[in-house]
Amino acid sequence: MLIRKIVPALTSAAVMILSLSFPLIQAAAEQKTFTVGFDAEFPPYGYKDESGEYVGFDLSLAQEVCNRRGWELKKVPIDWNSKDMELKTGSIDCIWNGFTMNGRENDYTWSTPYVDNSQVVIVKADSDINELADLSGKTVAVQADSSALAAFTGEDAEPENIELAESFKSLQQVGDYNSAFMNLESGAVNAICMDIGVANYELDARGGKFVMLDEHVSSEQYGVGFLKGNTGLRDEVQTTLLEMLDDGTFNEIAADWGLEDSVCLNHTDKLTDESSKAEKTLGEKLAVICKELVKGVGASLAIFLLTLLFSLPLGLIISMGRMSKIKPLSWLVKLYISVVRGTPLMLQLLVVFFGPYYLFGIQTSAHYRFYAVIIGFTLNYAAYFAEIYRSGIQAVPKGQYEACEILGYSKSQTFFKIVMPQMFKNIIPSITNEVITLVKDTSLAFAISYAEMFTLAKQVAASEATILPLFIAGVFYYIFNAVVAFAMDHIEKKMNYFR
Amino acid sequence: MDLLEVKNVKKSFDELNVLKDISLSVAEGEVVSILGPSGSGKSTFLRCISMLETIDGGSMSYCGKTAVKEENGKPVYVSKRELTDIKHTFGLVFQNFNLFPHYSVLKNITDAPINVLRQSKEEAMKTANELLKKMGLADKGGYYPYQLSGGQQQRVAIARALAMKPKMLFFDEPTSALDPELTAEILKVLRELASEKMTMLIVTHEIDFARSVSNKVIFMDGGVIVEQGRPEDVIDNPSNDRTRAFLKKLEA
Repeated sequence: MLIRKIVPALTSAAVMILSLSFPLIQAAAEQKTFTVGFDAEFPPYGYKDESGEYVGFDLSLAQEVCNRRGWELKKVPIDWNSKDMELKTGSIDCIWNGFTMNGRENDYTWSTPYVDNSQVVIVKADSDINELADLSGKTVAVQADSSALAAFTGEDAEPENIELAESFKSLQQVGDYNSAFMNLESGAVNAICMDIGVANYELDARGGKFVMLDEHVSSEQYGVGFLKGNTGLRDEVQTTLLEMLDDGTFNEIAADWGLEDSVCLNHTDKLTDESSKAEKTLGEKLAVICKELVKGVGASLAIFLLTLLFSLPLGLIISMGRMSKIKPLSWLVKLYISVVRGTPLMLQLLVVFFGPYYLFGIQTSAHYRFYAVIIGFTLNYAAYFAEIYRSGIQAVPKGQYEACEILGYSKSQTFFKIVMPQMFKNIIPSITNEVITLVKDTSLAFAISYAEMFTLAKQVAASEATILPLFIAGVFYYIFNAVVAFAMDHIEKKMNYFR
Repeated sequence: MDLLEVKNVKKSFDELNVLKDISLSVAEGEVVSILGPSGSGKSTFLRCISMLETIDGGSMSYCGKTAVKEENGKPVYVSKRELTDIKHTFGLVFQNFNLFPHYSVLKNITDAPINVLRQSKEEAMKTANELLKKMGLADKGGYYPYQLSGGQQQRVAIARALAMKPKMLFFDEPTSALDPELTAEILKVLRELASEKMTMLIVTHEIDFARSVSNKVIFMDGGVIVEQGRPEDVIDNPSNDRTRAFLKKLEA
């Protein structure tokens, strides 16, 4: 037993020593790939340029390391929230992407810091926010699981930063910086907190509409993050980086990206491998996860219930319009239904949320985010319900209408007393389908960064470095849907009093 | 008095002339049977006088009130309000019953009197229970249509029509959807109504029934009335070849 464990360990140790001492020999022997995971919307460290290539300071460094080692560089853009899963499953070898070490010292095996970075605050040029104290009572955006978020709410956050964050009206997490700037421009948030390097790049790219506050929130360092324990690969990369520093290549590349004032790679920083802090137990992790997810359950339920409350009656009105004898009205409704069914709900949510500002120049407020979710979902589901109602109405036999006419019922009596109850029975199975889809669709609210359960699950998964929250979220949706299916089954049985 | 008077009624669907020139009058207490091969236009005629279809030519009046008159060769319907009153003078019993499946038998019968004729609930219930008793369905008031046989459903449909207190009743092949043994139930009810001098216009294939119950038999073919008269004349001694051919086929 013991031998089976020791032999591979020795072998890998031997390979490691060999590869450290004779990099050229190994490169000749086989073409090794080096897979770098990065957030493709994080200029200038890693992003997609105009020609569609992934470029950036970090990718240039990684390329140079690969050139020297004879490795093949693979650039893999990842969802920032999923970075730990990518690393753990081995689909990437490292995270090299303006990756803040502070607060994450024990979560990864790190290179030494190579960029000194600070968190700064961006506001609109005409904003009345001039210093950090002015942020009191304002809505501030940060990227989900970013170092800015960690600076405010992380376990190692400075007390003064925690205090600052508590003075905000809310701390809004967004998926990427483009969306953050759209939020800022449309008035949905008042300020964005982000890395200084990114901030400089964005301010350059976006002209004079935005300014950076002189006061910084915190300073921090970037390093290359490897899977915890993967010291072999880390040592290889670290060695080559230091070689590049010595022959001046490192500083040349930094100058290419305008980062010569930010880089800080040196020989005196020590590799920090010793874990100073105990790992959380599974129970502690579960407690943190559940505490976070519970916050989102209410939001998911609210989306679900309010969407049904508004879209079920609205769908009936729309189906009336669809079947109207007034041709222009029925064409208009047909167009509406075809647009809603022909485009992704996620896109519709973005249009509802950002449309008022970008189409009509109306400044929105932080409250609008929730309204936008409900409006978007309601408009979308009403279109589907309208078509279901229509099919149900058309399934009611003509003889029913004729009997009503002979008995002298008015048009509205005919519809509400005779047609609607029969229609309702006809459509229950289709409605059940649609309602179950809605339960799962609530997770799409993440498109406009509304903190419903799935959005939170992804955020917790990222910050706790485990897929457990996603699994728990899955169980939640399953149970939620089981309840929905049970309720709809009950209604269907109740409607079986006639045939 | 003639309860129903129609003159020169024409009806076509697209290019097809279904009713060419139909004139007919039904006196109070009269029972009129309409016979004829399928496609002869008899059901269309019943739908026209029930105003489920609009006519393309001719005039119609009910209980002395004009519903459609001919002006410059075109039929003109009177105002909606007048038509509403006129429509209350007749009832129609469908081939497929067309009961409301989500209403109990009692609600099927009482709903229109309460909500259209504005009768009190007590009055409507009283009438409905009397009618059910008459139809031999006194114990079925709480049932839903799907729980009843076809013959029972058709009797409920007749009770529903009678509850509206019409001056006359139209029947569109009331037994065609029923098995022979269930047909007898319905014919029995119709005989009873005839003996009470209910004015009725019945489209049917039941020759024997037509002979024994009707005061007048009408034979239609090709969108026209080929022959009409007392049942013993039209059925037993038809003067027209087409009538003879039709009756012969039924006997065979």
